[in-house]
Amino acid sequence: MNYAGEKRFTIWSSFSLVILAIFALFIIYPLILVLCKSVIDPQSGNFTMSYLTKFFTRKFYWSTLINSLQVTACATLLAAAIGLPMAYVMRSVKIRGSGFLDILIVISYLSPPFIGAYAWIQLLGRNGVVTNWVNTIFGIQFDGIYGFAGIVLVFTLQSFPLVYMYVSGALKNLDNSLNEAAESLGCTGFERITKIIVPLVMPTLLASSLLIFMRVFADFGTPMLIGEGFKTIPVLIYTQFMSEVGGDDGFAAALCVIVIMMTILIFLAQRFLANRNTYSMTALKPMTAQKITGVKNMLSHAFIYLVVGLAVLPQVVVIYTSFLKSNGGQVFTGGFALQSYQATLFSKDNDVIWNTYMLGLVSITIIVVLGILISYLTVRKQSPLNSALDMITMFPYIIPGSVLGISFLFAFNNPPLLLSGTALIMIISFAIRRMPYTIRSSTAIIGQISPSMEEAAISLGATEMKSYTKVTVPMMMPGVLAGAIMSWVTVISELSSSIILYTNSTQTLTVSIYTEVIRGNYGNASAYSTILTITSIVSLLLFFKLTGKRDISI
Amino acid sequence: MSVSIDIEEVVKKYGNDTIINGLSLHVKPGEFFTLLGPSGCGKTTLLRMIIGFNSIEGGKIKVDGRVVNDIPTNNRNMGMVFQNYAIFPHMSVKENVAFGLRMRKVPENDIDKQVDEILKIVKIDHLKDRMPIKLSGGQQQRVALARAIVIHPEVLLMDEPLSNLDAKLRVEMRNAIKSIQRQINITTVYVTHDQEEALAISDRIAIMHNGVIQQIDSPKNIYQRPVNTFVSTFIGLSNLIDAEISKNQGCNASIVFDHGYCVFMENIKDTVKNGQKILVSVRPEEFHIRSAGEGLKATIKSSVFLGLTTHYFVQLENGQDIQVIQDRDEQDIIPDGTTIILAVNPQKINVFHYENKTTLIRGGKE
Repeated sequence: MNYAGEKRFTIWSSFSLVILAIFALFIIYPLILVLCKSVIDPQSGNFTMSYLTKFFTRKFYWSTLINSLQVTACATLLAAAIGLPMAYVMRSVKIRGSGFLDILIVISYLSPPFIGAYAWIQLLGRNGVVTNWVNTIFGIQFDGIYGFAGIVLVFTLQSFPLVYMYVSGALKNLDNSLNEAAESLGCTGFERITKIIVPLVMPTLLASSLLIFMRVFADFGTPMLIGEGFKTIPVLIYTQFMSEVGGDDGFAAALCVIVIMMTILIFLAQRFLANRNTYSMTALKPMTAQKITGVKNMLSHAFIYLVVGLAVLPQVVVIYTSFLKSNGGQVFTGGFALQSYQATLFSKDNDVIWNTYMLGLVSITIIVVLGILISYLTVRKQSPLNSALDMITMFPYIIPGSVLGISFLFAFNNPPLLLSGTALIMIISFAIRRMPYTIRSSTAIIGQISPSMEEAAISLGATEMKSYTKVTVPMMMPGVLAGAIMSWVTVISELSSSIILYTNSTQTLTVSIYTEVIRGNYGNASAYSTILTITSIVSLLLFFKLTGKRDISI
Repeated sequence: MSVSIDIEEVVKKYGNDTIINGLSLHVKPGEFFTLLGPSGCGKTTLLRMIIGFNSIEGGKIKVDGRVVNDIPTNNRNMGMVFQNYAIFPHMSVKENVAFGLRMRKVPENDIDKQVDEILKIVKIDHLKDRMPIKLSGGQQQRVALARAIVIHPEVLLMDEPLSNLDAKLRVEMRNAIKSIQRQINITTVYVTHDQEEALAISDRIAIMHNGVIQQIDSPKNIYQRPVNTFVSTFIGLSNLIDAEISKNQGCNASIVFDHGYCVFMENIKDTVKNGQKILVSVRPEEFHIRSAGEGLKATIKSSVFLGLTTHYFVQLENGQDIQVIQDRDEQDIIPDGTTIILAVNPQKINVFHYENKTTLIRGGKE
């Protein structure tokens, strides 16, 4: 597929080199620095294992890793246990308003998990609405769900949509004739689900579960807000690095290394499983949702509505709270007012929304331009250089946001690369973090464009560069733009790296929500969250309009 | 024991659209019966009504005299081979074939025996432990067939099973299917849109068009004595040429073409009247090309040499374009522009009513 096989060095090679250099500077270099800091004593400059030993010898530290693994495993299993039956029911039974429910599910997935955490605190926390209600009715002293239960609740409700979307996509590729064949051979009902459907979607279920595992494992905001005494490892990293008294760089770096090791393990497990059992299926006639009657119908509806209801409940709570009247601080005084919006949206010197949009848009532009180029290089111009590129650009995929944030501060805190505190460092971190997703979707799109398109253009007298810009890029554009919208939504709801990298002048919506929640000012936090939610919904509608689809694959 | 299938006045509706309105047919025990028609004619719909994937809005379907309308698919004991085979991708060949037996709670060692036996019949016993992804199209087809017949169904249903195979494999597989069907003597309903396949494989064919059966007959009769112009042009190539009946009182009729070419017919119905307009259907291979004498005057526009035969595109005097096929050894290729005379064989041509397009040949059904 390499037309210019004879010419060793082309314009494409120089692109490869430049991109490789960018990634080396912004991924490899900071990570190496983290690795170094974790094993080198800053005073003597000698090799030391003291940081790592410190972690593994003190229960206070290593228990966070156990906590993280427990919470993650529980939430992942529960998410799979909810997402799988939901996908099957939605695909096989006609549910009233299923199109709308789909949108609600996507919205609940796209909102940052920590918003769910603080919304649930308002309901089930120490002073939550539901808590107070339960305590008065039953005369008990329920203390609210903090710690393990709270984290698992929030993560489960936040993660099942991913399983749902993936499995639903797999079911769409499952030809109905498989169901019919099973039926004609005497296999129906529940038996058909366990013998045919579940084994066939199992690879997808595993893949999506591992994605969730990675996401939940790396999430910082939720356990920080609802965890209280129950500390997970991302919380430990943040507190170790940020604590004003004796923030310990070396120890934080060691923690980062441990976390990266874990995520690499999960990533490799996912790769292994995904390669092992995938069935390439294409459906001529996909399953269609059937109208059913009676108890089954009622149960299906009840199940779907209940789960979707719980999933969007945080959003509803947040929007409701944003209109409550307060004393300007932490106490709601009853009645409704637009006060929270006056304090956030219309207050002067408040660049939060502008910051979010500006940083997000610049990042997305970089992501799209580089993403298209990188995927083109790795698919069409296969060479050792581009294989390296392929591998390095996937790296950010397995690096948790807080780790990336810390490594950036290590690397770019001194001249000549003094970037910390600038908007640029935020943009670079956004772009680097979301790049793998765009590269993956663009790679899939290029795979569907026949190389003969470009060959045709070249045979008609276009240069390679012309055929790329005039033929390939325009053909990719609709798919890439759709992917970019999804990336945009995830960029604006990003917290774990921006909480480490932000300064007052680069504060984003999510950071503001987080700091307002920490201050206890739920009114302002809710107003910010509502703005974020509305932005996500508008983006989502744009996505649907652009793709003409109702499905989302992330 | 083989069973018969009786379809009596069945109706299929999707919402307000009636796809099939009162269709009846009878499949004899052990027969290889084919539903043939263009896409959208309702043949697959009818097949899926027989197995129970489609509901029946009116009429009855009987198997061995029992009405099956309300029996769920899994209790109908019918085997089906799907267009895309529907091989379970997560099961090996053996597991796929054993699936139906397991559902019937057949003891495990019996399953092994029956699976081995059936895999030998379809000639893929060496692929027993393969996963479906490692099978070719033809092999997948054999697995699908084995899986459908291993459960000893009363009826075997096949929905365009060969349409995803390449031309050569298609011929090989249709011979395999026919011989296996003979071997186990099972009543089979086969759906296809490929007329050659239907002619090659079937005991009888039902030609369907717009949800209505046009003709049910043996492949030979369907080809040689189509009941209407739809069948005559759908099966094989037919040239339809305008003509008139010429008939003296009491005598047999002749047909007269535009420019006076007159052919005496022995098998035309008595109901025809003198001067009645008709359509004459002539297969391209049934023309005799002459250089002089009685016949239709025509000019050769172009020709295609196909090895076994030569294909001529010719124009009649009235401007109509028709096709003529000649055997290789009949004569050298006639150059373009040559004027020829085309004679027809009165025993082989078919004559249709000008308005309602039905046959006017005696013995043909209306």
